[in-house]
Amino acid sequence: MIRDMMGRIYRNFKGEILVLPGRTLALLVGLAIFIAPLLTRDIYILRIITLTSIFAVFAASWDLLSGFVGQLNLGHALFFGVAAYTSAMLNLYLKLPPLLTIPLGAIAAVAAGLAIGIPCLRLKGQYLSLATLAFPIILKGVVYIFKQYTGGELGVSGISRLAGSRLAECYIALLLGVSLCLLIWKITDSKLGLIFHAIREDEIAARASGINTTAYKLLAFCLSGLFAGIAGGFYAHYMRLAGPSMLDVMLSFQAIIWTIFGGIATVYGAVTGVVILFPLMEVMRAFPEIRMLFFAVTIVIVLRFMPEGVAPWFLDRVEKECPRCKERNAFTRRNCRVCRTLLIAGKEVSAGTEGQTGHPTD
Amino acid sequence: MKKEFFQVEGLTKKFGGLTAVDHVSFAVHRDEVVGLIGPNGAGKSTLVKIIMGILKPDSGSIRFQGKEIRGKNPWDIVNMGIAGTFQNTRPFRRMPIIANVMVACLAPRGRRRGEWVKRVEAKAKDALEFAGISDLALEPAAHLSHGDLKRLEIARAIATEPELLILDEPFGGLNPVETELLAKSIRRLHRGGRFGRLHSEGMGMIIIEHKLSELMKIVDRVIVLHFGQIIATGTPQEIVENPAVIEAYLGKEGA
Repeated sequence: MIRDMMGRIYRNFKGEILVLPGRTLALLVGLAIFIAPLLTRDIYILRIITLTSIFAVFAASWDLLSGFVGQLNLGHALFFGVAAYTSAMLNLYLKLPPLLTIPLGAIAAVAAGLAIGIPCLRLKGQYLSLATLAFPIILKGVVYIFKQYTGGELGVSGISRLAGSRLAECYIALLLGVSLCLLIWKITDSKLGLIFHAIREDEIAARASGINTTAYKLLAFCLSGLFAGIAGGFYAHYMRLAGPSMLDVMLSFQAIIWTIFGGIATVYGAVTGVVILFPLMEVMRAFPEIRMLFFAVTIVIVLRFMPEGVAPWFLDRVEKECPRCKERNAFTRRNCRVCRTLLIAGKEVSAGTEGQTGHPTD
Repeated sequence: MKKEFFQVEGLTKKFGGLTAVDHVSFAVHRDEVVGLIGPNGAGKSTLVKIIMGILKPDSGSIRFQGKEIRGKNPWDIVNMGIAGTFQNTRPFRRMPIIANVMVACLAPRGRRRGEWVKRVEAKAKDALEFAGISDLALEPAAHLSHGDLKRLEIARAIATEPELLILDEPFGGLNPVETELLAKSIRRLHRGGRFGRLHSEGMGMIIIEHKLSELMKIVDRVIVLHFGQIIATGTPQEIVENPAVIEAYLGKEGA
């Protein structure tokens, strides 16, 4: 019985993960990050790993709303900040434990999603983006006004720690990050994700297919707010601070840069972007004079040669799409692993496959 | 007397100074296929967009099975049983064709027979089969030719199992053989029955078309629109011989 189950898990593992280089690599990197904290107790490395997993969730939640549903949100920090402040203030004034304040903060972020979603969804395209850009700035103003509760520029500090040790915090963040990113990926891969794609591609056609696009867009705002909110609450408890920088325009743009760098409308792209860029920028703190220049040049060069982002570019190199059944295959294979179609550009398939391997751009 | 199936009364739509649809009134019975013709700019597509809820009319009423649908949201109208296609096809370009149709199957009406997500894919496949593009099911819509996109539109519309189907130039871009096949499918859809997992209880139809010779073969009644007004209604035979229609299409000299 148990042998049977183990056998099935092993076969699924082999058939779903090991056959694709992209997934294998993701698994290896994931394992390396999981083991790293055990090998080094350096607080600084633990901090980088923790923050990377928090921001991976944040970037993936932006991707869910803006990449998949196409509602370009330029004020994503709103969700992060609302959750961070809610968690921090609940913890400081009501003495609630982090286990309660983080979910409550996330609920506050969902409420924020509803609050900006309902009025903003009357707007489309750039107008929606501009409206979303305004909300975190407004909230920042509010934070400065109610100084006695929010601490103004200094923020809410002195809140309780997430866990006893830095190592425990790091592992909690890692587990949470991995499971939330997988959950977001699962959502986008489901039937709900199909509707999200359709709304981005052509909203009027989606309506004419009987989809209540307003309700689904609102749902996307709430889901995105939920995940960004969990990340925000977590961040506040990890830093033991909720400050106005969490509502900053820069933080919103960080999510956008990470996601576009990694590959938009693919959850793994957002995660890749954070995993590459965030530690890289931490390392660059050793050279403060050229840090931002290096950042800008990297982004420009990468997007010049990989306009779809790092992750899709890499996957296109190591994986091939079967022209017949559209299953992905390792670049080493001659035949498709599902339908046995010849993959190597032979005489009879070369003409047909050329246009189909890349993503159509328009 | 039987309750009216679909009725439009005094429908008017103005774009600035231009009256695109001018006090149009007509009715469609469940058991008929109605052709809607008229020269370019006559207001046919505008009329259809108003019925589908994409444009809001200035005045008039649209009743479907005894209920007013004017001013309702497009998705509510689809879920009541009116589905339409677009003249300029609007596929979800980067999605596979089967996914395009699955979106319609995921609408409340598409799954009202208790078919929840599991069988959505099979049902979408049947709609593609009916439209004759099931062999392209996994290609992204961006790779399709114009004729296949027309068929995709039809597959997406029938996936919601409508009771009134509105086709805006279904034959545009099809060659004669394809046109004949599609005409046959449309008649079959109108008679009703089961197509795999798709049910049709025999749907009323409104077809806009420029290929008049093809249209006349499949419709029971024709409505002619000119400058937003109905200038003639009748059987295909009557319409072909109607001097007002000939004048609208060819001008006074041609008559």
